[in-house]
Amino acid sequence: MPPTHPAPGSEPDYGANSRRPDGSQGDSVTRLMEQATALLAAGVSARAGNDEPGASKLFDDALAFALNAAELCKLKDITGKQIDALLTGARCAACSGHADTVREIIDSVSALGGDFESGEWAQLRDIDLWPDEWLVAAVRRNPPDERALDVLAQRYWKKLFARCQMLTVDREKAADLAQEAWCRVLRGRGSLKPGGNFPAYLAMIATNLWRDQHRSSLRAGEMAASRMTSLDLEAPSADGTLLTLAEAIPDLPALEAEARAKLKLDLDDALARLTPLSRDILVARFIDGESCAEIGRRYERTEQTISGWLRRAIQDMKSFLREAPHGAG
Amino acid sequence: MKTELPIERVLAWRVAQAEADAPPAPRAARLLELSRAWWERWPESFERLVTQLGSIRVNYGHAMVAEPRGRGYPVPAIVARTNVEIGSLAEILYFNVASARLRLRFQVQPPLDPAEPQLEVTFIAVDGPRPLFVAPAVLAPSGEYRVDAELPEALARAWAEIKVTDRMPFRFVLREATPP
Repeated sequence: MPPTHPAPGSEPDYGANSRRPDGSQGDSVTRLMEQATALLAAGVSARAGNDEPGASKLFDDALAFALNAAELCKLKDITGKQIDALLTGARCAACSGHADTVREIIDSVSALGGDFESGEWAQLRDIDLWPDEWLVAAVRRNPPDERALDVLAQRYWKKLFARCQMLTVDREKAADLAQEAWCRVLRGRGSLKPGGNFPAYLAMIATNLWRDQHRSSLRAGEMAASRMTSLDLEAPSADGTLLTLAEAIPDLPALEAEARAKLKLDLDDALARLTPLSRDILVARFIDGESCAEIGRRYERTEQTISGWLRRAIQDMKSFLREAPHGAG
Repeated sequence: MKTELPIERVLAWRVAQAEADAPPAPRAARLLELSRAWWERWPESFERLVTQLGSIRVNYGHAMVAEPRGRGYPVPAIVARTNVEIGSLAEILYFNVASARLRLRFQVQPPLDPAEPQLEVTFIAVDGPRPLFVAPAVLAPSGEYRVDAELPEALARAWAEIKVTDRMPFRFVLREATPP
């Protein structure tokens, strides 16, 4: 439910002092709009400060002020200001996840003959153009807004699936993992942070689920096998990104469709032959761009150790590709 | 022609290919249906199991005297298998919450026969029919079940100080689970 607001036309306490000597309510509208704008700005700050309950309350209050201003404008028949107030209201509603209220406001403005061509109205009207912040706010409500969820799922599905494919090296398992990640996010949707990095959060959930499924084989004990230990003693490369799959892979841009398909199979085969831990650190390092130090903190290993593990994983990839059945090597 | 390629480029290429080959995104309605917890999908079943849990009595004094090896109190547990629901006890062997992760080991008494390789453990509050959390438990060779799962923030805070020798603030519904 959107927040309640004072009855249309009623003079709220916050506007009483602004009554003009001639008794007009023109300044009341201004005051209401100032309040709405100030609360909206405070909500934005609260959200940036990770105070989501506080932000939500501020946005709801701002929405109530803006809608009240719009009602006063309607009574006074000042359509231009009414549309401005509704725009602020729609912005507040979007920030607090009241997607239905946004749609109701759009309908009201449409009835008033509002111009939807301007940037902000155009964005508010088309949910596909909503930023993640608005969509996440609408999904975290109870019940979640299905249209917002559809847009969000559509927006990040391919990226999520691709990450899951790299981890599972199996199309069906990747689809299952991506779906399970979404389910996990939705079960805990009340704690979603609209101001956060949603795609990164989704990717993290999927990766954690996959890690949970492979927890035993990801334990350091297993990876501290002798072949890794010897590498730990070597001097780390100054920059892991300089490590190459030299001579094992053909030139990518020059590939024909058939060769691309074969290379895909060979890469998947090589990735599948890696241990889950090797795959995890390759994805973390080269797809997520995590540093060896960051990965090391997760595995409680030094940067040098992770660097050694990475080199080993790359060497394994190279040798698996040389043995590749489809000739990538 | 062979050329030298940075690994990140090769992996990025594979990621791009995977994105291009991705199946269609599931619809919101489907995701919402899938994300519903089992107790929301089958509330009657949940109510029945919680009622059964309430009827399991644990003699705590006897349990601690009889179990002097530093293990914890047993907690009431219902083992819900296909067509059969058995009242039981779960002996807590290890309990630790760190970095919002729960690490828990427990043994079902009497042991399940046949043993399930994996169970889905639903933690139910002791003071009411409130589901708290659900996590998979994997059977270890020793016959005990191990839970290693991320906790919701509120539970991680509330359970941070709990020791294995404390009375546990939960009961279990143990359901068969398909291994991943």
